[in-house]
Amino acid sequence: MNRTLPEMLHCLNSVGNLLAGNCTDMTVLDRQRARLKWQQEQLQQEEQQQQQDGYFNGSDQLNGIFFNPAQAGQFPGFQGLVGGVSVIGDTTANRPVKPDPSLENGWSELDRFEMSGIGFGSSATGLANGPGFQMTGAISRTSSSPPTVAPLTPEVKSRESFSPEKTSSAAGRESFKKRKADKVNNTKGVQEDDSREKRAKGSAEEGDSKITEQNSPKNNNTNANNRESSADTSKENSKASEVQKPDYIHVRARRGQATDSHSLAERVRREKISERMKYLQDLVPGCNKITGKAGMLDEIINYVQSLQRQVEFLSMKLAAVNPRLDFNIDDLFAKELLIIVIFLKQITIKQMFPACAGAGGFQTLGMSAEMSNSPYLQFNPAQQVVSCGGLEMGMNSHDMGLRRTISAPVSIPETFLDTSCYTQIQPPTTWDSELQNLYSTEFNQGRSSIPFSSQPFTGSIEASNLKMEM
Amino acid sequence: MQNFSQLKQEFLKKWLKGLKICSSPSKKMGILERKNAIKLSADLAMAFARKGRTYWSRAVIAKASRNSNNDMTLIKNASKQRFFQSKKIMKRSQNVHRVLLRNKSLSRKVLPNSMAKRLVKKRTQVLKRLVPGGDQCLDEVSLMRETLDYIISLRAQIDVMRCLAGAK
Repeated sequence: MNRTLPEMLHCLNSVGNLLAGNCTDMTVLDRQRARLKWQQEQLQQEEQQQQQDGYFNGSDQLNGIFFNPAQAGQFPGFQGLVGGVSVIGDTTANRPVKPDPSLENGWSELDRFEMSGIGFGSSATGLANGPGFQMTGAISRTSSSPPTVAPLTPEVKSRESFSPEKTSSAAGRESFKKRKADKVNNTKGVQEDDSREKRAKGSAEEGDSKITEQNSPKNNNTNANNRESSADTSKENSKASEVQKPDYIHVRARRGQATDSHSLAERVRREKISERMKYLQDLVPGCNKITGKAGMLDEIINYVQSLQRQVEFLSMKLAAVNPRLDFNIDDLFAKELLIIVIFLKQITIKQMFPACAGAGGFQTLGMSAEMSNSPYLQFNPAQQVVSCGGLEMGMNSHDMGLRRTISAPVSIPETFLDTSCYTQIQPPTTWDSELQNLYSTEFNQGRSSIPFSSQPFTGSIEASNLKMEM
Repeated sequence: MQNFSQLKQEFLKKWLKGLKICSSPSKKMGILERKNAIKLSADLAMAFARKGRTYWSRAVIAKASRNSNNDMTLIKNASKQRFFQSKKIMKRSQNVHRVLLRNKSLSRKVLPNSMAKRLVKKRTQVLKRLVPGGDQCLDEVSLMRETLDYIISLRAQIDVMRCLAGAK
């Protein structure tokens, strides 16, 4: 709602925002009516201002008011309008904010309404105080509707010329921000604004006839709002704009789209589905190239089925590998620990024999036979501890595993990548960070209820400490 | 990503706990029984790791509790049956697709729009059967959400299981 009325935003009249605040629970048609209404009020407000100037200084103050920089900042919309009418040519150069196309569209739309008003106003000012009765008569019809102006008309003129400044000074800043945001979204916004303009124009014709009959109830409505709203209208403005934002994002109608509530809801639903589908596309491999919902659903079904089958297969495999069900609680962690211990032992060995380490570095493939043997020898106590911990593990398999890891140290990082999924460590890039991760890994696993093997723990910690010192 | 690994960790913890519970009553088990126990515990752990926030996890838990009194083979049969059903529907929908295509090529009476709608409907049905608790999803949006969640958790489950199987 907020952005469906860009001109509303950018002028940021309190009337408009009050109306907009009302509009949250209106239907689309009501909104359009409200907009028309607001535009008319704007028109009348302008009339009033011009009239005030007429009261003030006479006919030639129409130019003066628009050259006044403060007011020029406040009412860029009016400036644009006036520029469009070419009462003043060069005021547009004073505009503090660069106009963007969507705004221009909005103003051009406004032009259609305000043309007559300006012509009217200028004629009024030209005639100075003469037709003042007429003007007041015209205003009294809707004098209750614009809240800033209506209560002020009987008051002193100087205060009136001052008060809009005050109310819109904060609002002006806000509108500046909004305009910036609009510029960012311009590429998207232009098209939508186009369609909106079309709609507005379409409704303008029918709206013209409606305005007269709607005037009286709307006046009552705004009157009630006036009573409710306190003096700090700018605060309310910002609040109202914040509240209405999500309302707009979901419901947007392009050209030729229906705007009744059912089709809007349907569109929202479809958007949600397509959003989910996009996520699914990212998730399901090979789903990127498929267009069309049926094909994507096929792909998703196949993927889910394959995943389910994979679970079946893996559980079968686990069942086949493990003779007993309580296999993996201690066994798994023991193995992980063993691997870690081996790893750290290797590091310590490298520290002990700096010649080897210095020659090959850590990532060298070719580990000498004695190197692979020595950790194995050193590893024995740890293994004994593990086996003493009441675990029934095949020694042979361990030996196999050990040999494998030692003879091919490059395979170690992969096993660590595996372990990292238990302990939520991202795959490390450098060896040092990996070491630190291992350190924390060990502690994590130690925390996860393994009563055994305090000895390898301390040993490995020492080893890592050594590494850290290095 | 952090969330994903958290999920995996939680799943692992729960699974191991569940396996302990499953293994304690009977020491001797056949390979199929063991497999079923592993799978059931894994599914349950996955569902509990989701904390019952989604339809599918609730459906899994409900099914497990329903079947806990009955035989294990019953679960197996049911799942098999369901699988076959879904397969049949898939096949049938593909046949329909073919028939519709042929019809379309012969006579242009069948609107492509309605055909696409029917295809999507069939596949949605299949998906509903495939995702546990999919019958409770009334609209497509929630079904998509469930499917997303289910796929994510299945992937976590498979990752963890593969890790375990690879560690052996």
